[in-house]
Amino acid sequence: MEIEIDSVSSPSKVKEIDGLLADVGYKVKSSELHQVAQNIERLENVIVNSSSSDISQFASDTIHYDPSDIGNWVDNLLSEFDHTNSLPYDFSQLSDLAQDQHHHHHHHHHQNHQLKVVTTVEEDSAIKLIHMLMTCADSLQRGNIQLAGSLIEGMQGLLTNMNTNSGIGKVAGYFIDALNRRIFGQNNIIHIENDVLYHHYYEACPYLKFAHFTANQAILEAFNGHDCVHVIDFNLMHGLQWPALIQALALRPGGPPFLRLTGIGPPSHDDRDNLREIGLRLAELARSVNVRFAFRGVAAWRLEDVKPWMLQVSSKEAVAVNSIMQLHRLLGSEPDPNNPSAIETVLGWIRSLNPKIMTVVEQEANHNEDGFMDRFTEALHYYSTVFDSLEACPVEPDKAMAEIYLQREICNVVCCEGPARVERHEPLIKWRERLGKTGFRPLHLGSNAFKQASMLLTLFSAEGYCVEENQGSLTLGWHSRPLIAASAWQAVPETLRFDH
Amino acid sequence: MAGSNEVNLNESKSVVPLNTWVLISNFKLAYNLLRRADGTFNRELAEFLDRKVPANTIPVDGVFSFDHVDRNTGLFSRVYQPAPENVTTCGIIELEKPLSTTEIVPVIIFFHGGSFSHSSANSAIYDTFCRRLVTMCKAVVVSVNYRRSPEHRYPCAYEDGWNALNWVKSRTWLQSGKDSKVYVYMAGDSSGGNIAHHVAVRAAEEDVEVLGNILLHPLFGGEKRTESEKKLDGKYFVKLQDRDWYWRAFLPEGEDRDHHACNPLGPKGKSLKGLKFPKSLVCVAGLDLLQDWQLEYAEGLKNYDHDVKLLYLKEATIGFYFLPNNDHFYCLMNEINAFVHPPNC
Repeated sequence: MEIEIDSVSSPSKVKEIDGLLADVGYKVKSSELHQVAQNIERLENVIVNSSSSDISQFASDTIHYDPSDIGNWVDNLLSEFDHTNSLPYDFSQLSDLAQDQHHHHHHHHHQNHQLKVVTTVEEDSAIKLIHMLMTCADSLQRGNIQLAGSLIEGMQGLLTNMNTNSGIGKVAGYFIDALNRRIFGQNNIIHIENDVLYHHYYEACPYLKFAHFTANQAILEAFNGHDCVHVIDFNLMHGLQWPALIQALALRPGGPPFLRLTGIGPPSHDDRDNLREIGLRLAELARSVNVRFAFRGVAAWRLEDVKPWMLQVSSKEAVAVNSIMQLHRLLGSEPDPNNPSAIETVLGWIRSLNPKIMTVVEQEANHNEDGFMDRFTEALHYYSTVFDSLEACPVEPDKAMAEIYLQREICNVVCCEGPARVERHEPLIKWRERLGKTGFRPLHLGSNAFKQASMLLTLFSAEGYCVEENQGSLTLGWHSRPLIAASAWQAVPETLRFDH
Repeated sequence: MAGSNEVNLNESKSVVPLNTWVLISNFKLAYNLLRRADGTFNRELAEFLDRKVPANTIPVDGVFSFDHVDRNTGLFSRVYQPAPENVTTCGIIELEKPLSTTEIVPVIIFFHGGSFSHSSANSAIYDTFCRRLVTMCKAVVVSVNYRRSPEHRYPCAYEDGWNALNWVKSRTWLQSGKDSKVYVYMAGDSSGGNIAHHVAVRAAEEDVEVLGNILLHPLFGGEKRTESEKKLDGKYFVKLQDRDWYWRAFLPEGEDRDHHACNPLGPKGKSLKGLKFPKSLVCVAGLDLLQDWQLEYAEGLKNYDHDVKLLYLKEATIGFYFLPNNDHFYCLMNEINAFVHPPNC
C-alpha cells in the first residue's frame, strides 16, 4: 500500500478530506470534523460510565472497521455500546458491509456475550432486508416478476419481526410497498391533497424552509435598486415562501418596490379558485406592511403548458423566476428530434423573459437513471437519509404527513415510467451542465444566504443537518449527505452566448 | 479530580484545533480499548488500529526513506534523508559515500513515543513527523523501532537504543564534515525522550560522543503526586491512572515509580556529576500533567552543571507537534534546527 503525500500547494484529489489528518493516516472530511468530535465525546462518556473490564473484553469481541475512517470506526463502536437510543441506520454502512469484507478485523465472537445478543438479531434482519430489496429490484429489471413477487412476500414477513417505526424498517417498508405497487398496481391511495401534505412537510423538516429562505435572499439581492419587480412562482401551493419576501421588501432601505406575483398551480377541483384565494391572502399581508402588490394566478396542470404571454411580463420590471422542485418534472417528455423537449421549451421562454434571477431548488439526487436498479438503489440511499432526518422531528401530525408526502415521491420514482414519472430528480452537477448549455450562467449565492441558512439550522435544534457551499450554490443535507440544492442563475445575453 | 468519572472534554477542545482534537482523542479512545486491567495489552488489536506507512526510496516532498533491519535482533530502524541534488540518483541508496565531505549534516536518532507500549517507527504519525524534521532541520533522521512493553520490559528499550546509537556512529555513510565523523544527536517524544536520556547517560559513561539530546515532553514520573499531576489529571487528554498503567507495564515487576528508569534524578537515581553528558533541549508542554517532572528533570541537569535549554510552551498540549497547525510546532522546529546547527561548528 503506497501512500502518496501530496505537497501542500497542489489540490488533493478528494478536496473535502482534512489534509493534515490524511498526512497521518486518517480520512475525515473537514465538514464532518464537528460531528466526529461529538461522537468521540459520546463514546468517551459511554466508556467512562462502564467498568474497565467491560471495555477491553468488549474490544476483543467486537468487529472493528477501517480505522482510517475515524467517523465510521467511532460510529460502529457507538452502535455496539449504546443501546439506549435506537440509532437511525446509516444505510451506506450496511451496504458497504455486504461488499467490503476485507476491511473487517474480526476477533473471536463469544456467542454468550450479552452485548452482542441484543443487537445481532436486528442487525441481521436489516442486512437481509436490504439484500432482498436489491435482489427484488434486480429481478424486476430482468423481468423476473415471479421472483420479485416472492421476495416481496419474504420481505413483508421479515418486517413483522422488525421495528418499523423508525430506521431501516420504516424506509424499507415504503420501498417494499412501492415495489409491490409496481408489480401488482394497488389502489389504496390515501386521499389527502398534495398541498396539505406539502404544508406538513414544510413544518416537519427544514428542507423547504431552506429552499424558501435561500431563494428569497437571492431574489431580494437581485431586486436591489428596482422599483418594479415581478416574481413568477412555478408552484404556488399555499404561497408559504412569499410572506417573508414581502416583509423583507417592506423593510428595504429606500422603501419597497411595486411587487407583482404570478403564481402557477394546478386548476382547482371544485368551484373554488385556490390560486386566487392564496393571492388574496398575500395581498392582505402586503397591504398591512404597505407594499404595493398585485397577484395573478395561472392555472396549468403542467409547467410545459404555460405560455410566456400568460405571465404578462413587462419590459420595465425586474423579473425573478422561482422554481422549487419543478424543473425536474419537465424531464420526462418523449424525445422528439423535430421538436424541442419540454425542458428546453420552458428554459427557452424563461430566457426570453430576461429575468434578473432564476432561483432553482432541486432534490440533490440522481433519480432519473434509465436503469431501474440504479434508480432504485439511489432512491433507497436518498430517502433513507431523508427519513433518518425526519426522526428528529417530534411534532405530529407533521411528521406522519411528511412521511406520506415522501412516500408519494418514492412511489413515483419506483413505480412509474414514461410521462407518468415526474419525480426525475437530478443532482446539481447535471443541472449546471443543462442550464449552462441552454444559456444560463450561475450567480453566486452570497455569504448572506449561507448565514441565513445556517441560522435556520440553529433554530432547528436537531443536530445532524448541515449546510454546505458548493461552487456558489448551497446544499442542505443530513450528516453530510446533501439532500437539497439551491442555486441561482441569470440568462446570458444572446450576443455573448457560446454554443457548446 | 483524580478518580472522578466526569469527562472534562470541553477544556481540551478549546485549546487545540479541531482536527488535532479529533486525532489525539481518537488515540486516547483506541488506547483505552487496548489496556487491560490485568496489565496485559491487546497487541493484535493495537497493530490493526495503528496506521502504518512503508518507507519510500523515491523522494516525496524532498525526503526519502528506507528501512534497515538488524540481522541479529530483527529490529528495524528507518532512515530519512533529504533527496539528493542529482535527480538521477533518486531511488538509489548510497552506502559508500558520506553524507558530505564539506558540510556537517546532523544525524538525529529518534525514539518515537507511545508510553513504551504504543506506536512504531513506521506509524504514520511518526513517519510524517520524522520527514518534517528532515526538511525543517536539515538533518538525517534515524527512527528506531525499539521493543515495547509489556512484552518487553525495562531495559529492552534502552538496550535497543544503545545498539542503535552504536550502529549509527559506525556507519561511514552517515559521516559528514571535514573530520568525517557522524554528528549524532538523540531525540524522542514521551517515552522516546525517556529512552534518549538513558541512552545518553550510558553513552557518557562509556565515552561515546553524543552532541545533544532533544526531549519532547519526556516521560518521567515518580511515586509522589506533583501539583501539575493533580491539577491537570484528565483535563487535556491524559489521565494519571493511565500513566500508572504504562509504568507498571514497563518497569520490572514489583518496582515502583521511583525506579531510576522512571525517576532518573530521584531518590533511587544516579548522579550525573562530572559526566560528559550532552547538552539538552527539553520541551515542556504547559498543559501536560507531567510537566512538574520534566521541569524537575531540567533543573536537575542544571544542578549537575549540564547545559540545558528549557523550551516551555505554555499553551501546548501533548502531541502538539503531530500536526503543523499551531505556533508551538513551528517554534519547536526552529529550536531544534538551531540546536543541531550550532554556530561554532
